[in-house]
Amino acid sequence: MSGVNWWAIAPLLVLSGGAVLLMLLVAARRDTPLSWITTALILAAAALSCLPAREAIPQAVTPLLMADSYALFFTALFAICGLVTVIVSHEYLGERHGENEEFFLLVLLSTLGAVTLAYANHFVALLLGMELMGVSLYALIGYPDKLELPLEAAIKYLVLSAAASITFVFGFALLYAAVGVLDYPGIGAALASADNPVLLASAAMIVAGLGYKLSVVPFHMWTPDVYEGAPAPITGFLAAVSKGAIFAALLRWWMASGLYELPGLLTLVALVAGASMLVGNLLALLQDNIKRVLAYSSIAHMGYLLIVLVACGLVADPHLAKEAAAYYLVAYSLTSLAAFTLLGLLSRASGSKELASLDDLTGLFWRQPGLSLLFTVALLSLAGIPLTAGFVGKFYLFSAGVAGSLWGLLALLVIGSAIGLYYYLRMVYRMTLAGDAQPAAVERPGWPARLTCYGLVLAMLYLGIVPGPLMEILRTIL
Amino acid sequence: MKDLLWLIPALPLASATLLILGGRLMSPRIVAALGVGSVGAAAICVLLTVLQWQGAPLESQLWTWMQVGELSAGVSFYVDGLTLVMLSVITGVGFLIHLYSAEFMAGDESYARYFAYLNLFVTAMLTLVMADNLLLLFFGWEGVGACSYLLIGFWHFDAANGAAARKAFIVTRAGDAAMALGLFLLFAEFGTLDIQAMSAAAGERWEVGNPTAVLATALLLGGAVGKSAQLPLHTWLPDAMAGPTPVSALIHAATMVTAGVYLVARTHELFLLAPPTLLAVAIIGLLTLLLAAFAALCQHDIKRILAWSTISQIGYMFLGLGVGAWGASVFHLMTHAFFKALLFLAAGAIIHCLHHEHDIRNMGGLRTRLPLVFISFLIGAAALSALPLTSGFYSKDLIVLAAFEAPVAGPWLWAGAVLGAFLTALYSFRLVFVVFFGRTNTLPDRQPGPGMATPLAVLCAFALVGGWLGVPVSNVFPEAETGHAALWVEVISIGVPLLGLGLAWLLFLGRGLDAGDLVASPPGQALYGFWHAGWRVDGLYDWLWVKPYMGLAALLRSEPVDRLYGAVVGLCRLLHRALSNSQTGRLRQYGTVMVVGVIVLLNIVWRAAG
Repeated sequence: MSGVNWWAIAPLLVLSGGAVLLMLLVAARRDTPLSWITTALILAAAALSCLPAREAIPQAVTPLLMADSYALFFTALFAICGLVTVIVSHEYLGERHGENEEFFLLVLLSTLGAVTLAYANHFVALLLGMELMGVSLYALIGYPDKLELPLEAAIKYLVLSAAASITFVFGFALLYAAVGVLDYPGIGAALASADNPVLLASAAMIVAGLGYKLSVVPFHMWTPDVYEGAPAPITGFLAAVSKGAIFAALLRWWMASGLYELPGLLTLVALVAGASMLVGNLLALLQDNIKRVLAYSSIAHMGYLLIVLVACGLVADPHLAKEAAAYYLVAYSLTSLAAFTLLGLLSRASGSKELASLDDLTGLFWRQPGLSLLFTVALLSLAGIPLTAGFVGKFYLFSAGVAGSLWGLLALLVIGSAIGLYYYLRMVYRMTLAGDAQPAAVERPGWPARLTCYGLVLAMLYLGIVPGPLMEILRTIL
Repeated sequence: MKDLLWLIPALPLASATLLILGGRLMSPRIVAALGVGSVGAAAICVLLTVLQWQGAPLESQLWTWMQVGELSAGVSFYVDGLTLVMLSVITGVGFLIHLYSAEFMAGDESYARYFAYLNLFVTAMLTLVMADNLLLLFFGWEGVGACSYLLIGFWHFDAANGAAARKAFIVTRAGDAAMALGLFLLFAEFGTLDIQAMSAAAGERWEVGNPTAVLATALLLGGAVGKSAQLPLHTWLPDAMAGPTPVSALIHAATMVTAGVYLVARTHELFLLAPPTLLAVAIIGLLTLLLAAFAALCQHDIKRILAWSTISQIGYMFLGLGVGAWGASVFHLMTHAFFKALLFLAAGAIIHCLHHEHDIRNMGGLRTRLPLVFISFLIGAAALSALPLTSGFYSKDLIVLAAFEAPVAGPWLWAGAVLGAFLTALYSFRLVFVVFFGRTNTLPDRQPGPGMATPLAVLCAFALVGGWLGVPVSNVFPEAETGHAALWVEVISIGVPLLGLGLAWLLFLGRGLDAGDLVASPPGQALYGFWHAGWRVDGLYDWLWVKPYMGLAALLRSEPVDRLYGAVVGLCRLLHRALSNSQTGRLRQYGTVMVVGVIVLLNIVWRAAG
């Protein structure tokens, strides 16, 4: 390991060191606010450590990890998303559960898994990151252990994840049998010679395993149940970080191994993408439970994202597709994080239980004008209304699709967005209705959570109104 | 003075703005002072401009409204002799009518609203005539249309007034649409809408009779026909009498309805390149003047008689334009503004003093009861009939003689114009004799006050001697070839109105013939009904346009196209239900779906790989 510039993997070191530190801290002294602040600091440090790490790239750190600008970009994104989750979770958990130190530890570990995925350049690293992230998530989903719904969700996620992992690992085995290597560039090099069905089967099974985590059709069944059961900030984390990291890893594998040159795989991904867009939006259409609506809509969003994987194979220069994917991921992560965070805060501010059904939204504008307005912006961004990040992201995807002449998928994208508009606006409409006058004892969320929400929404608007700078960054690093 | 041109439209605009914003808070006295004073001040500005005018066109560029590609739309004014005539009429007659309104409308609960609209109208009309490009002209053109709509429907609590206002708006809109197309065409041809630049370019680009020139001028003529209530878009003007009488005097007699004449005169260099359009202008004018004169003969509402008479007189102006007597038309426009405003204001005074009585059959013998009104009306009717030495005589005579010398069908046009002159005298003096002579049917309960009497007196003077003023348009229009018509032509032209007067005397003063007998005979009855209804054009249009449109609207009311979208919605709902049923929440079924999914994926890749 001589000659390695350790700065290249500084975020990984910060996060794993931080996890150990936090564990020791908790062992020494149980103090929720202290561990909360420590976790937040560690995540902030991880995000900031990307800046000096830029000096040391590109560099392969062992065959497993590839430290490049792609990895650092997503590392920063996931660390920030983790930070947001931690900040608002404290608010959300409140005094419900007494001592919550392990919650923050789990978020930290899960983020570490996500960052590993951003670096992964080898299937072993991919599996490691995926499981680290997943195992922490099982516990996080079922964290409110006195309630039935979170436990049910955790069990479902656990069992089905196990099945997906098995499929995934089986895919490895076949891949190894077909080409004899497991690092991405090696696979790419072997691809030209290995023209056999085993390779295709292995790729299909790996896509299936990752597709489960992305919750695309036909591996989407778990999504609504888990989204509904998990605590709102964790649902946001699941949507933003878990899916984002898996997609980042998938995209790197896809590009580095040149898999998009296999027509069979392109067909497969195109079908999955189309089905996801349609099924996700249709399922969300008349759904009455807010979290389930957002769950179904996430299926559709992942379908939109898969368009870029197909586009990669059909354009001369896949850079546009890659940029589109990265931009969309940023926009989607911020937006879904904001949506679930606000949902959590609104639930808490409304005093009672979790906001569950659409009816609970009625008249929210008049009770909680500030938070409702932010929530509205988040919903509009999810729907892809101009002047929000969601619009620019979708526009980017669309142009990538146009470059690849994917008319069928683009038609589905348009139809899906049209259906989507209905259920997003339905929620906004519900909030503006005159509610029954019940000015329940309104509890204002603390300033860190509020500030975070404002920051997220401002970022969304900024990316929607001035998309140029981020596009420029993506163009240079990808 | 050139730098102060902007003041002319700005003064009434400022007043209108103040009245709209704060009119409710002002006392009627202040409202009247503001409304009347602003137009008076504008009139003084115009007077100063006229006095200092050297004969060269004045140009004043205020600002650029927008600049898109080649199109540069500026708010800039161009004032030459033609514009000065229009400005004088609009502000001069306009001021008198505003003054008259102050008394006529006293006590109306929407006094401030009335003056706000009226001032706004004056602003728009001034913009229309001062604009140096067709876009700004069109802006003023639509502005006067909107104000006309607002003022016809001023007493909007009566639904019939609202209907009349809508009719006026929609019918003129048909013409405006044609005019807008004409503007597009001209812009496409020349890349500019500046009138002077366009006129110069047209002379170089188009030879006489160029088809594009004919089309463009025909489209402009469409706008002119709508605004000036000429055939076939004349039907709105009689109904527009639903508005207050001073409004009828200002908008629907003296100024707005002559905007079409102004437009044709302003763009005469284009029309000169399109002889077919010019002939159409003459024929439209002739037909309109005759049809409207017959219709005027058979009305009993005093304002409707005057409205039909207005249509007929504008027909004379169009005839003049069509035969190339540009100056004569503009001259007639001016004298018509004097005597028709006088007639309307006098009619308004009668209506005012006779408890809102409109029907001339209920009037009579007012000669001694309302002497000032009688004198005003007599002078107005004499000028309208073009009796020698009145203002109308000079202007109408010029048009009639020019018609005789027209290159195409001159004698025919002349004969029609002469017949029209005969009819004009007949219906004018029918009005005078029926209203002011004979038995007194209704007694007036008051006399017009000084606010109404003064404008009447001033307008009397102008209607009498306005013919000596002349119009300074020799630099604007090409020199007319002045041939001398044969003596018999002149004699007939001058004598015919006297014949009409004589016949009216016989028929309506009961001297030998009785109009009642004529109307009672079967053919008389039929003709009377036919002409009373304005040649039943309204019925025709109702059948031709309104009914099919309403039918279509009724058909679309159930939104048949929406059914299609309804089906899409239904399909989505159906799919949603079907898919939702798959979300059972049972882990074993979820697992099964995953396994099946993997198998399907494997099948897809193998199949694709062949």
